Amino acid sequence: MSAQARQAGIRLGALNARERNVKYLMFACASLSVLAIMLIFLFILRESLPAIRQLGVRNLFLSADWSPNVSNPEAGSYGMLAFINGTIMTTLSAMLIGAPLGIGAAVFIDQFAPPSIAQVVRRGIELLAGIPSVIIGWFGLTLLVPFIARLTGSSGYGMLAASLVLVVMALPTITTLSAETLRSLPPELQEASVAMGATRWQTVYRVLIPAAREGLLIAVILGMGRAIGETMAVQMVIGNARQLTFSPLQRTSTLTSRIITDMGEATGVFRSALFAQALVLLILAMVLIVSIRLISRERKH
Amino acid sequence: MRTRHKSAAAVAVFTTLAVLVTLAGCGAPARKGRYSGTVKVSGSTTVLPLSQEAATEFMALNPRANVEVQGGGSSVGVAQLMQKVVDVGNSSRELKGDENNGTLVDHRIAFDIIVIVVNPSNPVDELSHEQVKAIFTGKVDNWKKVGGPDKEVVCVVRDQASGTREVFDEKALDSTKEHPMESTPSAIECASNGVVREIVGTTRNAIGYISFGYVNNKVKAVTYGGVEASVADASTGRYPMARYLHMFTRGEPEGAVKGYIDFVLSDPFQTEIVSQEYIKIKDVTVK
Repeated sequence: MSAQARQAGIRLGALNARERNVKYLMFACASLSVLAIMLIFLFILRESLPAIRQLGVRNLFLSADWSPNVSNPEAGSYGMLAFINGTIMTTLSAMLIGAPLGIGAAVFIDQFAPPSIAQVVRRGIELLAGIPSVIIGWFGLTLLVPFIARLTGSSGYGMLAASLVLVVMALPTITTLSAETLRSLPPELQEASVAMGATRWQTVYRVLIPAAREGLLIAVILGMGRAIGETMAVQMVIGNARQLTFSPLQRTSTLTSRIITDMGEATGVFRSALFAQALVLLILAMVLIVSIRLISRERKH
Repeated sequence: MRTRHKSAAAVAVFTTLAVLVTLAGCGAPARKGRYSGTVKVSGSTTVLPLSQEAATEFMALNPRANVEVQGGGSSVGVAQLMQKVVDVGNSSRELKGDENNGTLVDHRIAFDIIVIVVNPSNPVDELSHEQVKAIFTGKVDNWKKVGGPDKEVVCVVRDQASGTREVFDEKALDSTKEHPMESTPSAIECASNGVVREIVGTTRNAIGYISFGYVNNKVKAVTYGGVEASVADASTGRYPMARYLHMFTRGEPEGAVKGYIDFVLSDPFQTEIVSQEYIKIKDVTVK
């Protein structure tokens, strides 16, 4: 073997070693995030066990009486139903408003807008995604809440204000992903539809949206994921009350806003009950993610 | 652009000089660096601003001393003091239960009056003890029943961690350990005096309670049991919703901890800082 060839062999060996190292490094990165998720889940589960054991599922998850006792936690009641209800109600009503708005904007960008305007709308929505939630919350507090109060004669704080704030927060996710889905549809669909004499609206309504159904659903679910975890903006406008309510004009709390309102002074079973709220939140988020998996699997078949 | 940078630099230099001169001026008469060491403080968010201001001024007078102040709430402060995590526990309430085991020393640093406030548009000017209790526990949910307009009552209260809430529940709602009373579940819970004032000031049908020092023209104070909240009536006990603000220590304070508490109680600090929001401890004659 010539000296030159040996040299090249060594270099190749070093290169292979580096390749391998990079592979291990990336593997470490990947396992770290998996590990982090598992640790978070186990930690929250462990911290919420005392409350589940002490209070029982019924008193903890199915009761709406949340009256913590700071100095003597054992003496308080920790039923979180009002906040589970608050989270689900605000998120669902946000989607009820946000889904048509977001999908509508996506259809506009994809189908109707001239390229320059589509570009402006797209950039604007991307900007919206970058606004910190506290600013959206503050906007809600200073404009939205007084507006709702004047319109309805209520205090203005409540689930309606929270849902509208969440619409603003989830809209970029829904719009961007919906537009992406519409763009990825095969152009033949539209061409065939137009060739059959369908109008643009008929094409959108009868052909494109049904064809993109799964993708649009995933966009909405991811938007829900954004809405369900939002804390700051919601806490500012929902009214931080402890009552179970179904009225959009009444004050209540979501799981997230209740955790941040109460965590400062929580000890013992009070603290554990807050962790149980985090557990419920985590499970709700997982349900969303699993449903996305199921939907995309269906789409592949 | 360049000139703007220059002028910014000039401002920065000037500010630094001004601060240095001020610090030197403060330090001069007070036997510089009498106290040294670290003082850790935590507790009541009501006491927090006072405590922080005192820490800043105390450290300016004693450059070798270091005072670290954190919030967390009265219970947290006292608990951390007992666990020896901190040297001073700030509290807006008296010691209770296990906390009162004789090892902690109480330093009353200020007197606070809790005032019931409504939106300025509300015609109601006076509320009795019973009315206040009925409103905040949710028994009265319409202003009509206490002489106001036919409108829903929106209660605004403090968070669980708040010492103000604890005192209010105890004095206005007659809450006791055996029979705890809570404000209505529909009440808005806020993390600070400022937020309560903001919400009451902007919500037409709202009622809330805040510290005396926070009352301004954005809200309207109502009389409680026929007595207007005032320093004179609170310090004699005629106006009942008042309380001391405390700093607790483990045993009699020594060294920098003593220096810090003495500074809080000193005449200049009480006159210039404490009296902006609360009542100087010397002016109070109750209990």
